[in-house]
Amino acid sequence: MPTGFGWEFKTQYQKCQWEAAEYKGRQYTDTLYEKVTESIARLTFNRPERRNAFNDSQFSDFHAGLHQANDDPAIKVVIIRGAGPAFGSGHDLSSPGQEESPPINPKLNPTVIDYYGLERRRCGKHEDIMNFPKITIAQVQGACVGAHEILAGACDFIIAAENAMLGVRGFGRMSLWASNYHGQWPAGSSKFHAGKLLPEISGKEAEAVGLVNRAVPFEKLDEETLKWAEGFSRLPLETLVVIKEWFNGMMDITGFGAAQRLHYSQHLQIQYTRFRSDEVNFYKMRRDKGLKGFIAGREQASTPKG
Amino acid sequence: MDNKSLIYEVKDNIGWITLNRPKKLNAMDRAMLDELDKAFTLAEQDLDVKVVIIKGAGRAFSSGKDLSDEVSKQSFPAEPGERQAFTKDLMDVQRRFDRRWEYISNVAKPTIAQVHGYCLGTGAFLAMVCDFTIAADDAIFGDPSVRMGMLSGMPLWLWLLGVKKAKELVLTGKYIPGKEAETLGLITKSVPAPRLEQEVLDLAEGLKLLHSDALALAKDGINAVMESRGVGAAWRFTTDMQLIMQSKRNRDEDSRFFRIAEEKGFKKALEERDAPFEGFFK
Repeated sequence: MPTGFGWEFKTQYQKCQWEAAEYKGRQYTDTLYEKVTESIARLTFNRPERRNAFNDSQFSDFHAGLHQANDDPAIKVVIIRGAGPAFGSGHDLSSPGQEESPPINPKLNPTVIDYYGLERRRCGKHEDIMNFPKITIAQVQGACVGAHEILAGACDFIIAAENAMLGVRGFGRMSLWASNYHGQWPAGSSKFHAGKLLPEISGKEAEAVGLVNRAVPFEKLDEETLKWAEGFSRLPLETLVVIKEWFNGMMDITGFGAAQRLHYSQHLQIQYTRFRSDEVNFYKMRRDKGLKGFIAGREQASTPKG
Repeated sequence: MDNKSLIYEVKDNIGWITLNRPKKLNAMDRAMLDELDKAFTLAEQDLDVKVVIIKGAGRAFSSGKDLSDEVSKQSFPAEPGERQAFTKDLMDVQRRFDRRWEYISNVAKPTIAQVHGYCLGTGAFLAMVCDFTIAADDAIFGDPSVRMGMLSGMPLWLWLLGVKKAKELVLTGKYIPGKEAETLGLITKSVPAPRLEQEVLDLAEGLKLLHSDALALAKDGINAVMESRGVGAAWRFTTDMQLIMQSKRNRDEDSRFFRIAEEKGFKKALEERDAPFEGFFK
């Protein structure tokens, strides 16, 4: 029985998700919007008590912020950062079942159409950010996991704290989102060796392999990011955007566009996972031990013994 | 051959192409580009040539397109009030320019770029499409096109560097030294400047020992894979994006580089181009 999540086709005439978000008169709460200078906007994920995990409200404010930044002709650069100790810990796995952030609970008995529509919307969010027609800079401290790591990859630049942690043990880098982690694309980059990318890497390690642009001591992160944003704001915007479109277009040519579609279907297939008795079962663990128990269990299960 | 801006000679089975406008830091004008085309054609046809080495006379490899030459003026965006050329003519000019680098990347002999000093813009393109790029540690790589409202029309930035680092270099227009270019994977190797010539010769001597046909087929095989993975389409796409870049109107906020160059000279124009970015993107 369809759950009502629905299947929305996005044609070229439909708005992308951030474009459809209303910002006029909005009270930003779970993502904050500010203009740092006339030409630099900054969006701050504002659920530090949840490590900025994405729920529907945080996404909604985030999209509205992108829309507002796009509509302001003076803005050239958008910084995206997180309040508190983390950039972000991905989708909020404890969101209520009717929200689109967590995996759909199998108890809702969704159809393939429900799953697919959800995944297209969930994954399509990142394509839209990648194609955002102004310069985007992800300012990354602490945890940068899952959907947040994809989001950082979708930004044009990443400035990270040296001790930021990208990825998390137990949530494989080479799994769902690897097919569209933009920083790794194209896989022919001489610095990318699949076997060497561990489940989690620091900002410093990520800089060494070219996955982030700069890694700096945490106390210098704000200043460094603002410096880069200020530099970009001095460049001609139309030129920057045409060059960005050129790079993104070439990535599409290499197959990245097709890989986005792969991402939807991978996500969908994961929803049909059957857990063996010795495997980490998210739904069971969350029910028995709570979310914290699940995260601890996942980490323990994926740490080599001895 | 006309030796005005490029010298081509064959010695000990090596085809030497020397960019020869040292007073202009080997900036590429129409004449040099025409002679570059001829030199590669000769080198490819000559059975005595096993390896091609490209280098620059004087202090630099090449500072890029000669911005005062008609080869550059053809592809400027129109100034306000100026009539834009027909798209078909622009496309013709741009496609020939862009495809030159594709042709050089497919020359059926191993090519080595020996880089010292400035290697900017189209100079960097030439270095990137060679099979091997050996540079001095203090050589300077980059493309400042973005600061002049232009596209750096070379797909290989993305293939060699990956998207984050490619965007960093091309969207900021910053320069990096040879050592960093080696770390990033932009070039093959970086060595202390006094060692450069011998390093390139040693490499060429080694390549000369290998079977010509095997070298040609191996190179073609790698190029074919890259082409099928999108580089082929990217060459075409790059020309399209060049046209878009040229077709946009120059707004007040854009660099008025060429107008300043006309009024105050290129030296002043370069200073004013780069001054706002002093201290940024480090």
